[in-house]
Formats: sequence, structure tokens, C-alpha cells
Amino acid sequence: MGWDQPYESRFLSVDPAAQRFRVSRKCFADAAVFEEEKRKILYKSWLYLCHESEVAKVNDFFVREILDKELLVTRDAAGVNVFYNTCTHRGALLCRNKAGNRKAFGCPYHGWTFAPSGRVLTRNAEVGYRADVDADGAYSLVRVPRLEKRAGFYFINFDPDAISLDEFLGDAGDRIDILNEHTTDGLEVIGYHEYSINGNYKLMCENSYDGYHLMPTHASYFAYQKAMLEGLPQQAPGGFAISLTHGHAAVETDIVSGRPIAQWLPVWGEHARELIEARKVELEARLGATRAAQLGQTNRLMVIFPNTVMNDQQSIQIRSVLPVGYDKMITRAWLLGPKNEDKELRRVRLEGALSFLGPGGFATPDDIEMLELCQRGYAMGGVQWNDLSKGFEAGEETARSTSFWNNELHLRAYWTQYDKMMSA
Amino acid sequence: MNIPERLLTRLCVEDFIFREAALLDAWEIDAWLALFAEDGSYEVTPPGVDGPDEISRETVYFLIGDDRKRLEHRISRLSKPNAHVESPRSKVRHVYSNVVVAEDGGGEVTAYANFITFRTKRGTIEYFGRIRFVLARMGDGFMIRNKRVMMDIDALVPQGKVSILL
Repeated sequence: MGWDQPYESRFLSVDPAAQRFRVSRKCFADAAVFEEEKRKILYKSWLYLCHESEVAKVNDFFVREILDKELLVTRDAAGVNVFYNTCTHRGALLCRNKAGNRKAFGCPYHGWTFAPSGRVLTRNAEVGYRADVDADGAYSLVRVPRLEKRAGFYFINFDPDAISLDEFLGDAGDRIDILNEHTTDGLEVIGYHEYSINGNYKLMCENSYDGYHLMPTHASYFAYQKAMLEGLPQQAPGGFAISLTHGHAAVETDIVSGRPIAQWLPVWGEHARELIEARKVELEARLGATRAAQLGQTNRLMVIFPNTVMNDQQSIQIRSVLPVGYDKMITRAWLLGPKNEDKELRRVRLEGALSFLGPGGFATPDDIEMLELCQRGYAMGGVQWNDLSKGFEAGEETARSTSFWNNELHLRAYWTQYDKMMSA
Repeated sequence: MNIPERLLTRLCVEDFIFREAALLDAWEIDAWLALFAEDGSYEVTPPGVDGPDEISRETVYFLIGDDRKRLEHRISRLSKPNAHVESPRSKVRHVYSNVVVAEDGGGEVTAYANFITFRTKRGTIEYFGRIRFVLARMGDGFMIRNKRVMMDIDALVPQGKVSILL
């Protein structure tokens, strides 16, 4: 669909002739809207769960809270399972450890014990139940309705009738596949940050692929970056924003900082330079020049609607942005890199990621500050609209369309999908 | 009265780190930077990690892992008005306690302190845990070879970020 007619809803005000696209601040600062959003969007969309390396071995497990649920994720011989972390007998939280490797999960209350497959292990005729009490699975741990994966990344959906993950991802799927092509050994989670922000979760989603804010918000980071890039040719990055299907979108630009796969920094030293050049040669031989450049020479920021960020910058970083209420969120951010990565490349990967990304870096704290200032601006009321008109022209297509990278096309795609699901 | 050598060392370490904290509380961050040796580093380990005393920033994703060079950039950034999160600056108060000297030899002292640091700006947040100081003896005083901050928290909830110097 294209924007050629004026449009008004509870959430959007679009006037293509005036090149104006506005989003209501109610979407960020209204408790009732948030409850509606949980029902219509969050509990109906595919949400990021984990990377396969987090449950790599049989009997590996971890516990993760998503929205209002606490989930127990396990691996048994048959694969990965995701259960509600509550005993099927009387409801106590079953697993109280955050992660590990375990053959059985015992409930502390009455001693019911469950296998990583979810089957009851210890309730039988000897203790007063009929033999084979869980034969029909009625006592087994209860699964989250849907669990599917793409290129090693697991997503869940609480809606049993949802479309498949692959269909939901649509055009975004290939941009997930390419992350997995960094290496033939597969990726692994290297590190993890979790931090709270006093703002609506959609603020972080917008911020994660917003090219427009980079210079004003992060001038102090770029001053540092400039020093790091000294001795290398520097030019303003080219690139584009692209709207994909189902509200997903990406921003792809020339790389602007060091990357342990294609862009060396002088401060990393000569040894790292040789290793990075060798990686580049390997990529081109394996994937061909075009795909290798798309993977190695491109800074890619992508948001999978509604709350998953999959960025490939200084390193691969996945963010799951989870609302705690309408004005509070928790961001979980995982850093990923190739398994069996050379020690030196791993060191520079961590260095690059540390300086920019993360709640102790040179950039993320300023982002957090901006998001909290926005939330305070919304909370005061009296002003109805946010503006997302940069680069907007009559007839703009909401999906499969491109624009200059620091325009707001991709944000309009996000909000168009939001409005569509909320107005349904 | 005869004061054992061990206690004297602790007193010297306390005197040094209390002054170090006072510089941070006063936002005299250039003077604070000057306390670091040329090979000095400033680190904040990731919350929830096992054995924060043992890990290395070459293999683990820290919250902060600055060598002297990057620490200089951190100070330079924090000195600018466009370091938005600390512009205007927050009020900061560091409290160090339970100081224990763990190792003393070869011109180097390793000491641990418990800490609570308060940051106030649109509300107050607290950071707390243990700090390891590796200090190089320099004449009557010390230079910091490593300051490693290890927080007793599972996640930066509700702290959100580490925008001040801990």
C-alpha cells in the first residue's frame, strides 16, 4: 500500500500532500493503550527468545522472563523446549536457577520432578497415583504455544494461530540468514547486558535503527571514533533505509567503525590487520563478492516488529526490548560472534563493542538519556503528536521501499504496522 | 605503641582511595585520571557474572574495560557538554569501607574495598559491591594499575546505565 490519501486514526495522522506523518504520543504514555497493545500486538507477534548456542548441549537450560511470563527453556535429545516455569501440580515456580545443565527439575513444594522434555518423572503408583500418570501428557510441563527458529535464532509466539515465523519474517529472513554466514562454524553468544530504562519500549526500538539521531546525540562518541580511525580514509557513509514486510525494516550503511570481520583499526595493531584481511578473503571466496560485501562491508541495523533488534555493527548484537509497563522497559542485549574465533579477533571484537554499545559505553548511556527525556516529555501531556516526516513524499510505499539512511522511512513502516494491528 | 606493618599499609591504601573517591565526588576527573599509571586500567565487570575477580576483558564482555588510552577518551568525553547523560552533571557520592589488603609485595599492593556509590539526577540510584585496587608504590604514595568494580547486582535494574565513574 502507498500513502496517497490523507489518513487519520487514534494513533496516526498522515497527510501526504503536506508531506506530514505523525504518531500520537498516546502510543507511549497511556496505560490503556498499552494493555490493548499487549493483547493485539505483543501476545500475537513473534518475540525473540534466544540463540541456539545458549542451549547447545542436551540438558542445558535457562530461565527467561518475557512479558508477564517466566519461561523455562530446555534442550533434550529431541531439541529445544520452552515451558511456563510453573509446576503443573500446585503452581510453584519450578526452576529457581538462572541457567545450567540438569537432567531433572524438582519442584521444592511437593517434590514433583520433571525431565527436560517436560514429562513427569516421579509421580506413579508407588506414591499414590495411577501407574504411568503422565501417559497422556496431562501432567507434563506446559509449552508456550509456538517455538520456531531461523538461522539459529529462536522466536516464540503466544498465539497458537499465528502465521509461521518464516512467513512473519518475510523479507527480513534473509537478513537474519546473513548473520549466520559470518562463519561456517556457527555463532555463539559471547556476552550479555541487561538494563532498565524509564521509557516506553518502542522508544528503544526506534532508537536502535534511527540514523537521524546519530550526529546530534553521539557527537562525543564520534569524536572518539575519529581518533580511532586516524590514518584511514574517512568519508560520510552512504547507505539506505529499507522497509520490509510486516513492519520490519533495516538501515544499511557503509561501515563507520572497526569490525573484526572487514574493517581494521590502527589501534588494534598489525597482527589484527592480517587476521582481518584474511577473514575478508575467506568471505569473498565462500560467498562471492556481492554477498561478502553485504555481510562484511555493511553496517546493518534491523528491527523485527515489534521488539527485536538485530544489529551488525562493531559486532553482532541482538536486543530484546521488553516492556515492564507503558513507561518502563528492560533491554536485554546479547553480543554474538563466530564460534572458535581467533583470540586476537575476539579481543578486538570485544573492544569495539565495549566502546560504543552497552550501558557503560560511549554511546548507549546518551541514548538512554534521550529516551528518558522523551518519556518525560510525553508524560506531561498537552502535546499530541510526534513527527516522523523526514524524507516523506506522497505515494511512499510502506513496504519494500527505500530512502536515504537517515530519513525516517523505516520508522513509518514500523508505525504503519502498529496502527494496522491496533486498529484491527 | 607499635603499629604492625600490615595496618600501616592498610592506612596508606585507605588514605589513597579515600582521596581518590573525593576527586570523583567533586568531578575533578582530570586529577582522577592522573592517578592512573601508564599501564593502568579501569574496569566494571558485567553484573551476574561468576568469578568477577578472575575474568579478563579480552574474553568476556565487560560493562567497562578501559586501558589508559580509552580511559583518557572517557574523561575527555565526560568533560564535554554533549556527553548528554552527564550534562548537566549528576551529584555523586562514593562510600568505601571494609578495606582489606590482600597482597603486598614487589612494589605492588592489591586491596579490596566494599563500596556504595549514589548518583542523583532526576532521582537517585545506587551502585554497590566490591572494588579491587591494584596499586603501584610510587615514593610515599601510589599509582593505580587497575581499578576493577564488581557490583553485587544481577542486571542494571534499576540502575539502567553506568554513566558516572564508579
